[in-house]
Amino acid sequence: MYGCHGHYWRFDLSAGRGELRPLPESVLRRYLGGVGLGAWLLYREAPPGVDPLAPEAPLVFAFSPLVGTPLTTSAKLAVVAKSPLTGLISDGLSSSHFAIAGKRMGVDAIVLVGRCAEPSELVDGALRPTALWGRSAGEAQRALAERGRVAAIGVAGENGVRYASISNDGRHAGRGGLGAVMGAKRLKALVLRGEVPTPLADPARVHALARDLSRRSLGPATAKYRELGTVANLAAFNRIAALPSLNFQSGRFEQAAALSAEDLRPVRERARASCASCTIGCEHIYGFGEGASTRIEYESLFALGPLCGVSDPEAVLAASQRCDELGLDTISAGGTIAFAMECGERGLLRGVPRFGDAEGLMALLDDIAHRRGLGDLLAEGSRRAALRIGGGAIAFAPQVKGLEIPGYEPRALQTMALGFAVGTRGADHNRSGAYEIDFSDRADRLHGDEGSARLALETEDRAALIDSLILCKFLRGVFRDLYAEAAELLAAVTGWPVTPEELERLGRRVVTLRKAFNIREGWKPEDDTLPERFLSEALPDGASAGASLPRERLGAMIRSYNLARGWTEEGYVPEALMRELAIDAA
Amino acid sequence: MASAGIVLCGGLSSRMGRAKAWLPWRGRPMLAHVVDVLGGVVDEVVVVSSTRLEPPPVDAPVLRDRQPELGPLAGIREGLAHVKAELAYVTGTDAPFLDPAFVKTLLGQGGAAAPEMDGHVQTLAAVYPRSGLAAAESLLAAGRLRPLFLLEAVGYRKLGEGELPGTRSLRGFNTPAEYLAAVAEVDPAATATLELLGRARLAVGRRELEVPVGTLGEVLAHARPAAELCEGDRVARPYLVSLDGRQFVRDARIPIGAGEHVVVLDSSVGG
Repeated sequence: MYGCHGHYWRFDLSAGRGELRPLPESVLRRYLGGVGLGAWLLYREAPPGVDPLAPEAPLVFAFSPLVGTPLTTSAKLAVVAKSPLTGLISDGLSSSHFAIAGKRMGVDAIVLVGRCAEPSELVDGALRPTALWGRSAGEAQRALAERGRVAAIGVAGENGVRYASISNDGRHAGRGGLGAVMGAKRLKALVLRGEVPTPLADPARVHALARDLSRRSLGPATAKYRELGTVANLAAFNRIAALPSLNFQSGRFEQAAALSAEDLRPVRERARASCASCTIGCEHIYGFGEGASTRIEYESLFALGPLCGVSDPEAVLAASQRCDELGLDTISAGGTIAFAMECGERGLLRGVPRFGDAEGLMALLDDIAHRRGLGDLLAEGSRRAALRIGGGAIAFAPQVKGLEIPGYEPRALQTMALGFAVGTRGADHNRSGAYEIDFSDRADRLHGDEGSARLALETEDRAALIDSLILCKFLRGVFRDLYAEAAELLAAVTGWPVTPEELERLGRRVVTLRKAFNIREGWKPEDDTLPERFLSEALPDGASAGASLPRERLGAMIRSYNLARGWTEEGYVPEALMRELAIDAA
Repeated sequence: MASAGIVLCGGLSSRMGRAKAWLPWRGRPMLAHVVDVLGGVVDEVVVVSSTRLEPPPVDAPVLRDRQPELGPLAGIREGLAHVKAELAYVTGTDAPFLDPAFVKTLLGQGGAAAPEMDGHVQTLAAVYPRSGLAAAESLLAAGRLRPLFLLEAVGYRKLGEGELPGTRSLRGFNTPAEYLAAVAEVDPAATATLELLGRARLAVGRRELEVPVGTLGEVLAHARPAAELCEGDRVARPYLVSLDGRQFVRDARIPIGAGEHVVVLDSSVGG
């Protein structure tokens, strides 16, 4: 077999031993790797209805055929589990040498089940007690670096914060509480090292394609990421009033300029860096405090800045770094705290910092990670917190299916609103690229319609393929024809005679399998919606002033989307479609 | 006799390349200008919009045309079904020089009336009676979709050029050149603002530039040589252009009007 190894390593943490299990070529070709293979393994390995934090719940690390090849941005993995935040599928993609090390172990995926008898670390296939419990993910990685490549959790994961992340090489599988799943298994760190090569079907062709892709990756399609990074979104979103601020009470933030890449970069940028095996170099390292520095992304900046009313870049950069140390997803952390701030303003919650209180925000991050005081409630995420607080707070809890909404104001970006509503992971800007439609002349961003559904669906299918290959989505503008070029890459790596049509089908298959998992785990049609705030309040100001998203409009878009997918109008997956797409996970 | 105004804004504006209802005119969107002028003449104004177009905010009820594919007669039908007045002056959105005296004269005929210019009856600058609603329904059902058929069905008075004041009211615009020429007549020094974000700002070194109105391509050319924002007739792929932060456009041939903000962003917005 080329490009793959044909098996995965299943390790039972309760028993302290692992085994290799076969992965037939037919499965690998239908799901590739990453989120596709991860979803397939989760469906098979998770007992139906399992508690995400139970020992039986699997935690999947899925590599892909392209990992370890010279193709730019291919050093990626997907971490997949049933989310303790949503009760549905969750996956986090991460780019690092950890992915390469895992593939060199001679496996296409790793599945962890069971629970360690005591806090432990899994190193070179052996489980041993850890002395790192209570330390940051970064400290754990540094302490274990000599033993191999490390994925570790911070204090938040140890304490079961429902939006804890898993870190590796300073990158994070952030969303949905994957770190809490690992923490519930009492596993501080997974350390991988391997020497098994993956043969390529046509090495010369792979190298030629890699050179060409690297050359194109340095062109204008990725220039924004290289020159400014994702932080450039902040000023742009603010200009069109799509920048969520003050817990989604507005699409504009008066002090946005202070946090914009255009203003920050000249005075704060210290360095630029790349993920493993990447030529784009989108990481922008900004300085703050007395000699400190951190990588900063738009999502962290928005969530810990405008969403919480904080405009001091020093404070936002420090909060972002603190989330990384504690092992917290910055989007859910910022979203949950912003929600609590509004609860405080409305008299529903006491002892909460006010909007703009940077010191209060910082203290709350630590309280959440340690589940101290109010932090214990907020560690549950905004949906669970809202249901406990009562008083109608659920109407403005900024989440879909429990996952906090990223930095795209749904009323100002209405095709993205559809993507959020139907997202299998919850409010999700990575598995749906529907915002691309809003930022184009193909749709009216302030007035989504049924035509938006087809366009949103296409972005999901493309993302499913890219995330299964796995390549970085920042390359998406580089491809002239994603499906044709991906087929060529896969053929050179694996020797499979794949066609573009086969890969289009693969994208649909992966999205539908994820939905089938959710249905099995209790998803209901009424879960595909947005909080009441977005369906009943218009945006107050700026270039999106007056924009509203009536429930009927969103409902019509969702029905169109479901039908376009071949699902029922309500969103269930017909058996015939499962057969047609050759989904055999059940 | 009470009178109404019906403004149709359901057209595709395909030759203009952007919705005419949103084109700036005397500091407001074109539609708002027409609604305001009509509001000074008639007792009630309604706007009939297609479901394809989100109109700019106006001081009038906005009706949705249920059958925009049937053309202006369907819009007239929607308007007549809604108004209370016996007579309604019907106009398209692009009536920049609409003169109250012109509207009053037509309404003053006491029944259906329409100007005739160069041998053509101007059906979208005409008065229709509310009592013509049933005839409109019948014509639509029969597939006879020209508004002239409705005027003929109800019986109307033709007014020649010499019988009407303010015939400049009939002047519209269908192309960027026609619009920009009209803008130049009103304000020869009209300017727009080129607002730069992201890489374009870094390249040019300015947040914004005050530039003469023109086509989008002409406006974007003011960023040269620091930034090439166009590729031929299209906005260059690394960039996005938004009009006043609302609508995204790529066609560089569309017109940019006085006071508009042309906002340049980077095209890769994900992350």
